[in-house]
Amino acid sequence: MIRVHQLLSGAGPHDAITTEALVFRGLFSAWGWGGEDYAYRIAPGLEAGITDALRLRPEPGDVLLLHHSAGWPRLDELMALPNPKLLLYHNVTPPHWLWEHAPMVAAHCAAGREQLHELVGAVQLAAADSAFNAGELAELGATRTAVIPLLIELDRLGPAAPRAPEVTGAPTVLFVGRLSPHKRQDELIRTFALYRRYRAPDARLVLVGDPISDSYGALLARLARSLAPGAVRIETGLSPNELGDRFRAADAFVCLSEHEGFCIPLLEAFHFGLPVIARPAGAIPEVVGDAGLLVADADPAVVAELLHLVLGDAELRSELRRRGRARLSDFQPDVIAGRLRAAVEAALSAP
Amino acid sequence: MSAPEDALGRARAAAAQMRASGAYAEARATRPGPPPPEAAELKLYQWALIEPDIAHVRSLRRFGAPVTALKRLLLRLLVQYHVQLISEQTRFNVMLLGYVRRLESRIEELEAQASSEPDLGP
Repeated sequence: MIRVHQLLSGAGPHDAITTEALVFRGLFSAWGWGGEDYAYRIAPGLEAGITDALRLRPEPGDVLLLHHSAGWPRLDELMALPNPKLLLYHNVTPPHWLWEHAPMVAAHCAAGREQLHELVGAVQLAAADSAFNAGELAELGATRTAVIPLLIELDRLGPAAPRAPEVTGAPTVLFVGRLSPHKRQDELIRTFALYRRYRAPDARLVLVGDPISDSYGALLARLARSLAPGAVRIETGLSPNELGDRFRAADAFVCLSEHEGFCIPLLEAFHFGLPVIARPAGAIPEVVGDAGLLVADADPAVVAELLHLVLGDAELRSELRRRGRARLSDFQPDVIAGRLRAAVEAALSAP
Repeated sequence: MSAPEDALGRARAAAAQMRASGAYAEARATRPGPPPPEAAELKLYQWALIEPDIAHVRSLRRFGAPVTALKRLLLRLLVQYHVQLISEQTRFNVMLLGYVRRLESRIEELEAQASSEPDLGP
């Protein structure tokens, strides 16, 4: 029987990679495979069956699937194990975004980027969840790479409600993602304030995500209060149902992030029929395809006008909704599961 | 039909038109990319002086108030040890930063010296 042990540097209840690892475990069980899931840092509140990585004792021949998204505390010990290893690279935020507001996270990211060199040289197969991430692996010398897009469960957010052709009432703009400097919620607040001032005085902005540090969360809250008092809501710690409610209540999804290794909320926005405006950064263009409006312009007035256009043009929104649904078909779980299975088998059969 | 491919062009034209009429005067193109490294270097000096905040010592579990109280009591009981630990670490941090600063200055001097010397060729 094939046994696959998954290792994460950290696991948490709202963490997309932890969620994916648990979905993978379900697939492995369905395929009759064994193994367990481990993490070096386990956040309080995680009720899933993730074991402390210090207890890892693999049998010879067990595959180690390493989900790489931050620094590993004991990488040398891990690399010394003779087992076949499959790297799944989820990208690591470049630390220069984070030193100012979250130095500990930055240190973990710096370590994670350094360790990527060692990982690429030591694994049987290097996989990534986007072509953008796979490109970084290839730059580090990986000769065999595979792309296994993030496996998401949209059903957990509940069904998408039918949408009226016109936006009625006060328009609501949504972004979902960790409150972090590289996600540029600061820029979104500034752009939204312009849109509100010149186009829709009653518009609202909802930002959903846990702050990378208390001080950064407070900084964004202050910015929102000064530029758009009473119009910006920052929400943290939402359940999947509550998150689904935010998508259902929104009229547009705007992502001005400048670094993304994948960006699941874009697909969630497609699921809920929301028009998407995004920066073409990192993996965003390959995830969005032709289903969203990509804007690289640094001028926030252009982004504000694009938002005004998409909220006022029913025909445009309808076309984007149609393309969004089509885009989701490229991320069907059974297709991704097939790629995962092939990658594990390739790691097992590699010399 | 309103094609998504045309939307950005329409938005740019609308922004230009609005600007011509006096709108968006306060909108500035913001610097893309991360904060400049100087900001992080300044932060280094702030971080060198360790000042742990006891408010961050807490339990996130449900009904965690007694656990929080116990943790903070332990900190009070160990205050002498922690003051010593913090002093030693802060001293090391500050000395190390001073050393890095001297190295930086020396490198700048050597680079300036090297660039001012005539190239004698092979």
